[in-house]
Amino acid sequence: MITRQSRILQALAAAGIAGLALTACSAGGGGETAATDETATTEESTDAAAGDVPSWCGPEEITFGLLDGFGGNSWRLVTTASGEEEAKKCPSVTEYLYADGQGDTQKAISDIQSMVATGVDAIVVFPDAGEAMLPALRSSYEAGVVTVPYRVNPGGQDGVDYDVWIGADFFQSGRDWAQWTLDNFPDGAKILFLSGPAGNSQGEDEATGFKELLTDSKYEFIGEQPFEVTNWDPALTQQVLTAAIAKYPEIDIIFSDFGPSLVGALPEFTKSGRPIPALATSDGNLLGCFWQEQQDAGNGFEMMSVATGNDNVRLAVQTAIALATGGEVPEKGEGFVHPKFEDSVSGSPSAVQCRDDLPGDIYLSAQLDGDTQASLLK
Amino acid sequence: MANTATMKSTKRVGLSKGVGTVLIALIVLVAAGFLLAPSSVSTGAILGMLPFAAVLAIIGLGQMLVVQQGGIDLSVPGAMSLAVVIISHYPTGDDSLLLPALGIAVIWAVGAGVLNAFLIGYIGLNPIIATLGTNALLFGAILGISGGTPRATAPLLRAIAGDRTFGIPNTIYFALLALLIVTVIVKKTVAGRRFEASGASKPTAMIIGLNVKAHNGLSYIWAQLLYLMGGVLLAGVTSQPTAYMGNTYLLPSVAVVVLGGTSLLGGRGFPLATILAALFLRQLDQFVLALGVPYAVRTLVQAAAFVIGVAIYTIDWREVRRRFQEMSRSSSGKEHS
Repeated sequence: MITRQSRILQALAAAGIAGLALTACSAGGGGETAATDETATTEESTDAAAGDVPSWCGPEEITFGLLDGFGGNSWRLVTTASGEEEAKKCPSVTEYLYADGQGDTQKAISDIQSMVATGVDAIVVFPDAGEAMLPALRSSYEAGVVTVPYRVNPGGQDGVDYDVWIGADFFQSGRDWAQWTLDNFPDGAKILFLSGPAGNSQGEDEATGFKELLTDSKYEFIGEQPFEVTNWDPALTQQVLTAAIAKYPEIDIIFSDFGPSLVGALPEFTKSGRPIPALATSDGNLLGCFWQEQQDAGNGFEMMSVATGNDNVRLAVQTAIALATGGEVPEKGEGFVHPKFEDSVSGSPSAVQCRDDLPGDIYLSAQLDGDTQASLLK
Repeated sequence: MANTATMKSTKRVGLSKGVGTVLIALIVLVAAGFLLAPSSVSTGAILGMLPFAAVLAIIGLGQMLVVQQGGIDLSVPGAMSLAVVIISHYPTGDDSLLLPALGIAVIWAVGAGVLNAFLIGYIGLNPIIATLGTNALLFGAILGISGGTPRATAPLLRAIAGDRTFGIPNTIYFALLALLIVTVIVKKTVAGRRFEASGASKPTAMIIGLNVKAHNGLSYIWAQLLYLMGGVLLAGVTSQPTAYMGNTYLLPSVAVVVLGGTSLLGGRGFPLATILAALFLRQLDQFVLALGVPYAVRTLVQAAAFVIGVAIYTIDWREVRRRFQEMSRSSSGKEHS
């Protein structure tokens, strides 16, 4: 249906949109689903050849769409592949579609609208723009499409504005970091917390989570509250951390919800003649290997990580497909909990992992194994 | 556009104005740092700031060459991001592939430059439109090559761009090299003098037989090569770049050129002042960060710095004073009658 050539043209159109967005005259609402990907239906039958159809996969045949608000980093690439892998476990999914909003809210909205218009039966949406995505989600839901936003809270209510929101339990990540801090710094610590864009709900939830446990005044939070704004941009992270190193003579622990983005910045400590502080963060092969390198170079530091949560998408995909195909809907609970992953002190559930034969931007905590992730990056 | 440049001759009193203004601003900023936010002028903070200043300086030099020709280059984000993507994507962590990747990046940079040169220098399109189009094409290439996903930088590049030699970040040496090359070529060679002359006044340059189109077009190619250099260094400095690293460099690239005293109407360029302006902007970031003000205030302060910087050069303050005097004279005259 969509030839390779037209896909390239669409990619160029998408690029044009991205370019225009730079000049603040965002023209993303052009109505075309640029960069829509489609996979051959024949592959699915082989993928599901094992015969064990999961319980969430019902008998009704559907077209399924996965929509990203922003697909431009390796985390999203792995997440998208995980979502696709999950969808293909169900033979009732006859067609799989993907669209990337490229960080442009208008494009993300028009992606949803055009997917609904092409007659998709179920969509899973990463609503990066938060509440700005709610009207599009609602109109999709009202058009009878199974609509499952995940991870970022779009506001609204389950069963009113969309079928169900599969959030991530960021409070728990915060509590996990806090527990590790209590265990390893019983005498108190000065803690610096780095998160993404100003006011992002993930960072706020994590802060609420760890402040629940770290109530004692011997735990001091330094820097801008509730978190230092880094936009999850490695360059800005580096600038922010440099300023913090200069400003605070003592930083004992850094909390960060994007561990690998710290790797460019942490050597600043060594360069200023200070030890690298302990880290409580999210995992990434780059970070694990950096930890190993520093250990070998005699600049060792302690760290723990929670899984970055690529598998959040799996729960969302299962739920959407179950609702659309008439399968068994999985339990939602409090949303996706990021399992604890690495702990350099206790070694449980795992010691710090590094696969230096694989690229830095894979996530060993994901279900999708390291080698498969690496092949995605080729 | 360029014939108005002759009217601006009063502003081009010499190298000293741009360098002087930026130097004073920088000194004031450092002094304010000592008084209000001492951590912003500590060794660690300065050394952490320098690599980013160096990258901005190199990008600024590229933009300056274009602005000198009375043009403007809006393809900075695409060009830088593409350089980041190519240099991180092809090697995917393998040092031995860095050099071939650099070769590919150079081909792309020259290609983008030639496209800009053709559209603007030869066909005579408006540079805003043409470079915006090129920018979109470059983003197409970024998505085509990487699917919008760069890789972690290869360790060798991380070492080259991130390490220090004699206590100074390596990126500074690259910025100084770029400054040296641009200054020598533009100020000391015949071709460079012709380049500057054709930017100052196109009609005059045409009358004396200079190939104005070629000079105008070439500026875009040189600029692309400088963006490439900046992008590659930025990839090395940040270890885990994103696919759109160049996006935050468009406005600053123009700002440093303007702060450095180069007229947006074209003409004489001030490479040293441009570099100092880059230093100023990045130190301003560091200063505001060290003050510990909220993110919103940080953004406002930076915006204010742009506005003040532009106002210093572009507003004819003597004329403003004269008008104010006239206004007060006429209003006081009315009162008497």
